[in-house]
Amino acid sequence: MQTFNSITSAIFDVILAPFGHRWAWFDLLVWPIVAGVVALVIYKAVSNQKGIADAKRKIMVNLLEVVLYRENVLGVLGSTAKGLAQNLRYIGYNVLPMIVLIVPMTIILVQLVANYAYDPIARGDVRLLEVTLAPGASFQPRDVSAQFPDQVAVQAGPVRTPDGRIFWRIQMLEDGDFAIQLNAGGETQPKEIVVGEEPRKVPVMRTQGWEALLYPGETALPSGSVFETIVVSAPERDLSPLPSGEGGILLWFFVASLVAGFLLRKRLGVTL
Amino acid sequence: MNALARRIGRRLRNAVPATLFALVLTASCGKAPPDQPGIFVLGVDGMDPVILSRLMEEGKMPNFKKMAESGGYQDLGTANPPQSPVAWSTFVTGRNPGGHGIYDFVHRDPKTYLPISSATPPVEPGTAIEVFGYYLPVSGEAPTNARSGVPFWDPLLAAGVDVEVFRIPGNYPPTPSDAKVLSGMGTVDMRGGYGTYSWFTTDASQGRENLKGDIQLVSPSDDDLDGTPDTVRGTLKGPPDLLRLPPGKIPEDSDYLTVPVTFRIDPDEDVVLVEAGDSRAVLREGEWSDWMALGFDALPGGMMPLEGIVRFYVRQIRPEFEVYASPVNISPAAAAQDISTPSDFASELYDLLGYFYTQGMPEDTNALKDRIFNDDDYQKQVALVQQDAQAMLDLALTRFQRGDMTFVYLSDIDLQCHMLWRLGDPKDPHADPHPALAADAHAVSEHGDDLVGYYEDVDVMLGEVLERVPEDTLVVVMSDHGFQPFTRKVHLNSWLRDNGYLVLKDGKKTGQIATGDVDWSKTKAFGIGFNALYLNVQGREAEGIVPPSGTDALLEEIGDKLEAWRDGDRQVVRKAHRGSQIYSGDRAAEAPDLVVGYDIGYGASDESTLGEIVEPEIEDNLSRWSGNHLMDPEVVPGVLLANRKLGRTGYSLPDVTATLLTHYGVPLPEGMEGKDIFAP
Repeated sequence: MQTFNSITSAIFDVILAPFGHRWAWFDLLVWPIVAGVVALVIYKAVSNQKGIADAKRKIMVNLLEVVLYRENVLGVLGSTAKGLAQNLRYIGYNVLPMIVLIVPMTIILVQLVANYAYDPIARGDVRLLEVTLAPGASFQPRDVSAQFPDQVAVQAGPVRTPDGRIFWRIQMLEDGDFAIQLNAGGETQPKEIVVGEEPRKVPVMRTQGWEALLYPGETALPSGSVFETIVVSAPERDLSPLPSGEGGILLWFFVASLVAGFLLRKRLGVTL
Repeated sequence: MNALARRIGRRLRNAVPATLFALVLTASCGKAPPDQPGIFVLGVDGMDPVILSRLMEEGKMPNFKKMAESGGYQDLGTANPPQSPVAWSTFVTGRNPGGHGIYDFVHRDPKTYLPISSATPPVEPGTAIEVFGYYLPVSGEAPTNARSGVPFWDPLLAAGVDVEVFRIPGNYPPTPSDAKVLSGMGTVDMRGGYGTYSWFTTDASQGRENLKGDIQLVSPSDDDLDGTPDTVRGTLKGPPDLLRLPPGKIPEDSDYLTVPVTFRIDPDEDVVLVEAGDSRAVLREGEWSDWMALGFDALPGGMMPLEGIVRFYVRQIRPEFEVYASPVNISPAAAAQDISTPSDFASELYDLLGYFYTQGMPEDTNALKDRIFNDDDYQKQVALVQQDAQAMLDLALTRFQRGDMTFVYLSDIDLQCHMLWRLGDPKDPHADPHPALAADAHAVSEHGDDLVGYYEDVDVMLGEVLERVPEDTLVVVMSDHGFQPFTRKVHLNSWLRDNGYLVLKDGKKTGQIATGDVDWSKTKAFGIGFNALYLNVQGREAEGIVPPSGTDALLEEIGDKLEAWRDGDRQVVRKAHRGSQIYSGDRAAEAPDLVVGYDIGYGASDESTLGEIVEPEIEDNLSRWSGNHLMDPEVVPGVLLANRKLGRTGYSLPDVTATLLTHYGVPLPEGMEGKDIFAP
């Protein structure tokens, strides 16, 4: 996961935010359109365009039959069944393109989220550091310790819970990029935090496994780590008038890329 | 201030790129520069002229002193009765209670004799269709604000004045308006009351009766079976589950939406993780959490989340577990019901301030009265309220421009006078000790001067106002009433019983109107509300026996007896005012028949206010609610200060209202009574 994240992050760190992270709306307008176009190109390349066109045509024919022969109950039922079959065929043609598309679309989306969903933590702000031990870890919450940089003050904690979580309440004292070191059983993992006012890529969570693909803002935890997740929440960035937050970017991305794809489909000669 | 500036800066910074185009388009459409000075009003609930004058003389209120000397300072006539909802409604509308219709916190329903809220009378239940256990409303009315009259902000806005009003009392539910108005005192919590705290405790011995909070006796569990208790579980109650309640049913304890709360106790340290809904906080003993947002799901699957906000206070972790949760406030970010006009003004403030107390009386006096809080705890909680007030004042000042009209309400002096008077009379250092002092004598050394501190805090705020508003701004400080000690509580209904005006069934001496103990066929008069006395009039009350022709004589008789009433050698009632003589206006007919103006030291008991008849007529007030103003208006005037010379003396609340309008050349709406305080 880490190799994959490193490659994609290296690419997107170069091409995202050409005018800086302050101009979030630029990337949030351009990239859904790019994604829509890329999606059309991939869709055209990997889908059975003739089969899709045929299935759509037959669905229309079946619908017309239903309307024209509505007095004939058996005919209507037969046409409906045939229409449903063609629908299934149409959906079937879309499975492969969707599987192929999900990869580039997810990459673009998670990079947009990592870069624009959060603001850096403001100096003086208070946050929770939450560490969750991996299921089956041979260590107990009592075995976890943390070293904090001078620029981060521990206000309270740790609280070690019976379900394997450890919490600290911390306050950011200075602007800058810092790392908290978490230790358990000889394993040490850093957790980056970004403090300041200038918008930039904000690491929120370190995790491992497939989930790490969704958090490219920071190095993934190594497979087999005693830590399942390490989280320091960050404030959601206000992107108004666009929708804000992870969910807002997700919504905006899909709506904008779908609209772009729909509008450009004929120009690119794609049958959807 | 720095945090606020940062937050505003961040909002602006984020907004700049996205709105640049819009700004260019609209640059030529901006508001014309105002051609007259603006007005900034600080409404300080309960500021007393005697205390203020003393502190000014002692040099503890330098900004007030400077303003009084360079401008004007005098007593301000309060409303009758001098209760906050009545007085602030008088200020808001410029009318006497006969015009705006708010006579007390509660008044009697003549059909049932029961006490009902004066500000938001109950509405008839609507109809609903039951679907899978849910009652989907088909018809029905929403509660509305019962106050009549035109609030001062409406004509000002209509005249083009940029008006902002922060935390105005008596405006919940907010009356329809386009002006930016945030409701204050009277605004309910999520449960629909004036503030129900929750108390999670392992200490069964703390069980006391008639507590106003939700007391949850908890038992820590050992979730990881290591022999050390580590987890405490409870619930927080939110709004009534209205979609599950048949129309008209009064919610019982089990009829509220709830959110689970889990407290994870560290095995070694005195620190706890609080998990409420999706919010979490790590707290040590003695610490308060920040606001935590909670979602109460009115429909399954999170389809209709109602957002509330709560703060936790970890009083003790070991040996006993004691955690307090504030009343669940309506979230200003996504208000489940309107608490402002326009309805998004509250969320606009949230964007700039973060969460803030929206409950009308945010200081948790109930927890202090119930002895859940000691004075230290209470002081910490009040400090949080003050932080909110300070942030809101900062914001109001940041937004204030020349020509604007802004009102900011400050609650602390009022509530602290109510609660801390027992520790020492700030008006008379030689006064006898308050009857409630004995139980709290140990707190005098640490909190005996707190009241002075709260006055000084307001002085600092005034200094900030004077420094930050444009130089020609008219600055007015006013209070709705002053204060007096509350040493003896009066059971008016018991006095009426003993004098033969109120008769209980079956020869009983004690009982309650609400439980049907009063024999209305023999009762001529009864009390409901803090100062109100009603006759049981034929044709008006459901079982009235006093003929309308006999009311005058009866009122004169009762009034004379009340004024002659002595508690030892002390007068109990300074004056019994006839409603028909002191009120005028469209709603004068709703007035109490007598308004009982208690003398200094005396006030209505809670029991009598809600229609209970107890054994004694008068007894010592042992409650921590030890200062009061629900007396005769003559003994509790408010204060009026301005940074300009006042025209004459003898002003009262409607005069301040009228001044706000005449300053801008706006004609007074029909029914507004005041005169410009700067006119010669």
